[in-house]
Amino acid sequence: MKTAQEMKANSVMLIDGQPWMVQKAEFTKSGRNSAIVKMKLKNLLSGSTTETVFKADDKVEPVILEKVAVTYSYSMDTTYVFMDDNFNQYELNADDIESVLPYIVDGMTDICEAVFFEGKVISVDLPTTIVRQITYTEGSARGDTSGKVMKPAKLSNGTEVKVADFCEIDDWIEIDTRTGEYKCRAKAPA
Amino acid sequence: MPSNPTTINIPPRWDIFCCVVDNFGDIGICWRLARQLANEYSLAIRLWVDKPEAFLAICPSVTFLNEQAQFENVAIHTWPEHWPQTTAEQTADVVIEAFGCDLPATYLKAMSEREQAPLWLNLEYLSAEDWVESCHLLPSPQTNGLKKTFFFPGFTDKTGGLLREENLIEQRRRFQSKGGAKQQFLASLGVHQTNQAVLVSLFTYPNTALPLWLDELANGTQRCHLLIPQGLISQAVAKYLAQQKLNVGERYQKGQLCIQAIPFISQQEYDQLLWSCELNLVRGEDSFVRAQWAGQPMLWHIYPQAEAAHLIKLEAFLSHYTRTMTAENAAQYRSISMAWNSAEAPPHKGWLEFLLSATNRAHASNWCTDLSQQKNLAESLWRFYRNWL
Repeated sequence: MKTAQEMKANSVMLIDGQPWMVQKAEFTKSGRNSAIVKMKLKNLLSGSTTETVFKADDKVEPVILEKVAVTYSYSMDTTYVFMDDNFNQYELNADDIESVLPYIVDGMTDICEAVFFEGKVISVDLPTTIVRQITYTEGSARGDTSGKVMKPAKLSNGTEVKVADFCEIDDWIEIDTRTGEYKCRAKAPA
Repeated sequence: MPSNPTTINIPPRWDIFCCVVDNFGDIGICWRLARQLANEYSLAIRLWVDKPEAFLAICPSVTFLNEQAQFENVAIHTWPEHWPQTTAEQTADVVIEAFGCDLPATYLKAMSEREQAPLWLNLEYLSAEDWVESCHLLPSPQTNGLKKTFFFPGFTDKTGGLLREENLIEQRRRFQSKGGAKQQFLASLGVHQTNQAVLVSLFTYPNTALPLWLDELANGTQRCHLLIPQGLISQAVAKYLAQQKLNVGERYQKGQLCIQAIPFISQQEYDQLLWSCELNLVRGEDSFVRAQWAGQPMLWHIYPQAEAAHLIKLEAFLSHYTRTMTAENAAQYRSISMAWNSAEAPPHKGWLEFLLSATNRAHASNWCTDLSQQKNLAESLWRFYRNWL
């Protein structure tokens, strides 16, 4: 058993004997209210989705899934194709990779993990830290160098990320894929 | 010959579980809810409370016999430390765990053994934050096969609303319009309002900046009669006055400020106190909600949290409460509220005048009227239950 707050995007749990994948998990703790985790879940058998909420310390039954290392290959409409070392291709619908979609860019070389349930690929996990290039951001308004003042920036796929005020267009940055937050500036990938 | 069939209407059974964390807010809310559900919706309500002494403090006339009591059509039970074995038939049709308290394991097991699963609700604390709307009424499947539903009170139609008895506003109007009702009530508390003194109730959490606010009242231009129900705050005020304690009924004068401690009063009397005062300083959830139904100016002292986490919740309320104020008035109200909740001195000399101003009085009245158009919490619960059937 795990607690609800340990379940992250792409985790799978059994509810009434059915496997449900966490597509999105939002933790909230407010005042005296119970700490809760609101989840968007997808039934891996029927494809139906639902929203639920758990107390953060509620017990849930996780499902361990098989994983295979893959890299992103290409996309067609809403289908995203990944390939393993043996050149096997795995197709995923955009809905299946909703949480990683903001970080999918053409030419990315990150080693990802394709996730399988009963032999069928159901999603992809990204590394915890990825490096992406800023394609647009405003200039530094205040000349801040502390990294505490943030501003919006866009990646090549249009995803918006809050970055340190000193970041500029064409800079490479590290992003935490668990939170979507900017970590620091980075070197361009080799 | 078969006898004529007789229909016996057995009221649905609802169990409300209340774990008292501190003070009287949690049990106060649960008691109000239990009473309203029993009396307005004819439900068979059992209220389980782990600290019956907290219940007795707000309903001192009740006598517990064998760990249970019957009062105002509600069965009040002591929630035993070791819950006995329970059969499915002994569980209720609707089970409310108030404020995320954990139900007894044996009771939970019995719930899962029912032929038809009960409606299981987690009634949460009140918050004006946006996320509440998106979590209200969401299911929460549990590993025992039961499904719990999160139920959030709130200030919008997309939430469960606020606790408000069906005739509360009318009761208040009658009280406020009936000649002599206010004076008679105040006299019963030993309070005689002097000419030109505004009546203010003070029921808040300990606040290290309280002396600064009281000094402002003492040194101001407006005469002020401050009424203090028994509790922690009366000790703080006694310290401010360099007294061992505040004697109930005795009046303490300091400049323009007259301070008077009043006895511990019932929920109904507290409502009347709020209706009688020109300004109510309230706290937590229960008195906070009741002050809004009073339709009088008020200032909320939110339950303080570590790392000032409560200020987010306060901000959320303020953004709702000040939405229809002018920008200037909203800024004033916000600055006073933030200072009061941050243990800071009053933000400016005119804070009392602003709170008592005709504009702010009208705002408080309009806010109450607008809120009272929404479904109340008990009604929302009952409707949800009817739809679930």
